[in-house]
Amino acid sequence: MYDKIKSYILLSPSILMGIIFSIPALVIIFSLFLPYSENWTHLNDTVLNEYISNSWKLLVGVSIGVFIIGVSTAWLTSTCNFFGKNFFIWALVLPFAIPPYIMAYSFTGLFDSYGTANELMRLIFNIDNGEPFFPSVRNISGAILIFSFTLYPYVFLISRTAFLNQSRDIFDISRTLGLSKSKTFLKVALPLARPAIIAGIMLVAMETLSDFGAVEHFAVPTFTSGIFRTWFGMNDIITAKQLAAFLFLLFLIFIIIEKYSRRKLQYNTISTSNRKLVPVQLYGVKQIGAFIICFIPVLIGFFIPFIQLLYWAVAYKLSYFDSSFYDSAFNTIYLSLIAVFICIVTSLIINFLIRVNKNNFLSMINKVISSGYGIPGIVLALGVLEFFSFLDSSFNILLTGTILGLVFAYSVKFYALPNSNIQSGFNKISSSLDDMSHTLGHTKFSLLTKIHLPLLRTSFLTAILVFLIEVIKELPATLILRPFNFNTLSVSAYLYASDERMIEAAAPSIAIVMVSLIPIVLLLKIISRDNNE
Amino acid sequence: MFIFRFSFLLMFLFGSFAHADEVVNIYTSRHYESDKILYKKFENKTGIKVNYISGKGKALFERIKSEGKNSPADIFITVDAANLWKVESEGFFQRIKSRKISKILERRFIGPDYKWIGIAKRYRIIVFNENVKEHELKDINYEDLASDKWKNRIVIRSSSNIYNQSLIASMISHNGSSYMKKWLPGFIENFARKPQGNDRAQVMAVANGEGDIAIVNSYYLGIMLSGNSGESQLNAAKKVKVVFPNQNNRGVHVNISGAGILKYSKNYDNAVKFIEFLLEPEVQKYIVNNTFEYPIVEGVDPHPLIKELGINIIEDTIKVKKLGKLNKSAVKLMDISGWR
Repeated sequence: MYDKIKSYILLSPSILMGIIFSIPALVIIFSLFLPYSENWTHLNDTVLNEYISNSWKLLVGVSIGVFIIGVSTAWLTSTCNFFGKNFFIWALVLPFAIPPYIMAYSFTGLFDSYGTANELMRLIFNIDNGEPFFPSVRNISGAILIFSFTLYPYVFLISRTAFLNQSRDIFDISRTLGLSKSKTFLKVALPLARPAIIAGIMLVAMETLSDFGAVEHFAVPTFTSGIFRTWFGMNDIITAKQLAAFLFLLFLIFIIIEKYSRRKLQYNTISTSNRKLVPVQLYGVKQIGAFIICFIPVLIGFFIPFIQLLYWAVAYKLSYFDSSFYDSAFNTIYLSLIAVFICIVTSLIINFLIRVNKNNFLSMINKVISSGYGIPGIVLALGVLEFFSFLDSSFNILLTGTILGLVFAYSVKFYALPNSNIQSGFNKISSSLDDMSHTLGHTKFSLLTKIHLPLLRTSFLTAILVFLIEVIKELPATLILRPFNFNTLSVSAYLYASDERMIEAAAPSIAIVMVSLIPIVLLLKIISRDNNE
Repeated sequence: MFIFRFSFLLMFLFGSFAHADEVVNIYTSRHYESDKILYKKFENKTGIKVNYISGKGKALFERIKSEGKNSPADIFITVDAANLWKVESEGFFQRIKSRKISKILERRFIGPDYKWIGIAKRYRIIVFNENVKEHELKDINYEDLASDKWKNRIVIRSSSNIYNQSLIASMISHNGSSYMKKWLPGFIENFARKPQGNDRAQVMAVANGEGDIAIVNSYYLGIMLSGNSGESQLNAAKKVKVVFPNQNNRGVHVNISGAGILKYSKNYDNAVKFIEFLLEPEVQKYIVNNTFEYPIVEGVDPHPLIKELGINIIEDTIKVKKLGKLNKSAVKLMDISGWR
């Protein structure tokens, strides 16, 4: 009886958290019901079509790009053996460390008419005039390239897990029935992995559409950059919020597609056996081909930008790595630690309650809070700003401009990450442990603290790492909400790069990459341990 | 373990609320490493701690608006008189009560009712490459640039940039709207490429022959020539020459970076002190040596690299607040004539 009361006590703060986390999104949606100003006519007459068509082209182009790159490399590294395969298994994830806007900065540095690549060509071929060798990247094709090569790891990781989990039986049967290897891939493996691939592509889509640094740098007007322009250029925050609301609704559709796909995925894996795939050894031309297919994304998505940034940073701005750099890095890290702590505690309580009470309402709240991932950074910042201003004026305090704003924004946006880790962590704990503990007379509380918590250690670690990576890279919300004397690496990189001060932007950019590499490598170790279980 | 994490959390959350005794809070659109040293100088001199956020000027202004009367911002520093005018016309600046300012600053660099002041100035100049003969640029005026002989030779950044808007605003003030309505299409037809990149990119374009002349802000030349931005920018800047337009009549277009005290400032006296600090000769010297702008007070020399570009330049003495007033008309005209 006591147990039930205790669990209801924990229920109300969870619901409260759920409501608080939803407020920024609600603020934005609410703007749809405000009057539509005349700026909408101006937008409609001039740039709205351009925003929509650019965003659409970007979306389609990048989806195709990450599909090709992500699925091909995932397939090769899960089902074949070839020279360098073990290297590629982790190297193909490296572009994760480079956020799209950083990649944009390094690519313009390389391929602008006076960029490094063109200079190199002039040096090699001894040309004097200023004709650029390489085509300009500051256009939509360049943007599609950038996003594809930096975001494909989402699809790669998810597809690879899906392929690895596909039972050997299926392939044996399809070969017995006479399907060649490629037909097996096209007609069996790919469709089976489709839910996973679609989930990956939806994540990529959301990241692409909410980017604002890269598209601004490439002068490609998209919906998100339009939100900025309307807000700052036309001084019309209401229309900006309305645009943001439409973008958010689009994202909700993406999330629904993603979740629907993943539900199908679960259904599939339950019904297959667990015999593992035996990789096929490749020889000769095929081996070279596999190597090249895997090498290109790593080269373009990581090595080339990394080396360009490293060169700039070392040649010109090593002085950047002084005390203010450590301040920026430290700011970023402790901010994300605070935010991930809040998320972990909330998620732990909610998931525990769902587990012991089988509460559907809580499940729904959990999903609502998780959808914060689909809110573009700038939309979120707008919502948080408005919410905090309201609190400020109602209670005569000052919340805006404190780190509370940023912590709140990060918690809302990235809650889904620790939550999914903790959820899958709980799923791995057999329910018979719960039963045993109950039989032995322990309270629910000690079940949580003495049994679940230790078993969830890996999930916590993974959650912290993934969260950290995302916070390091986040730009729009940080730009708008940060407090005094508070520069993060992403903000420094953006402020310099948007002023075409590439050299100065290089040092914080390379710092972002290097700081993200640490959690990424740790994360990969955990994932590979999981995959080998 | 929980308790430890929890108190850790509390410590940081509340740590951010702690204040030094005397402070001044600055929102600035300037993003220079050298500014940090400036703040330190002020702190050492007066004991007042400087808190600052740097960011895009418009974004910061929007944040100030959202924060309302609880905003902690005391001073707002931004570039271009039109931006200052916007903030002031929406009622966010308050009068700067300082006798020093009226003594050292020319009237044309002071906003209406002493609501903001300029702290450094810049000219919008013409850079050109070897394809342009000296005689083509003799006594050149901005107004001459719509003539056919400049067809496909001009590069300039987008009309969405405020520096261009202010230039056009000044031209409207001197020539009238109907003149400008006819002038702009001719000017735009002379573009060698669609507007892209910022002023630096225009200098690079002239250096490598994509265009023959460009209109850029003077300090960019200084930054590029200093070598701080890398070799390719240094080499490009060396390849171009500079000419100041309208030297036979009203003078080259002048704009400012400036500062004002915000309406809801909680540290008014400290803010006044900081603004007066910015106008001191030593500080002016420090600012212009690092940002390559021109000093706004008499008796201070600009950086040698800037001095080399030309001295005793005739300046357009239009009151800079007019640039703000005419901004909307300028944008409209630019939109209608198709300058993207």
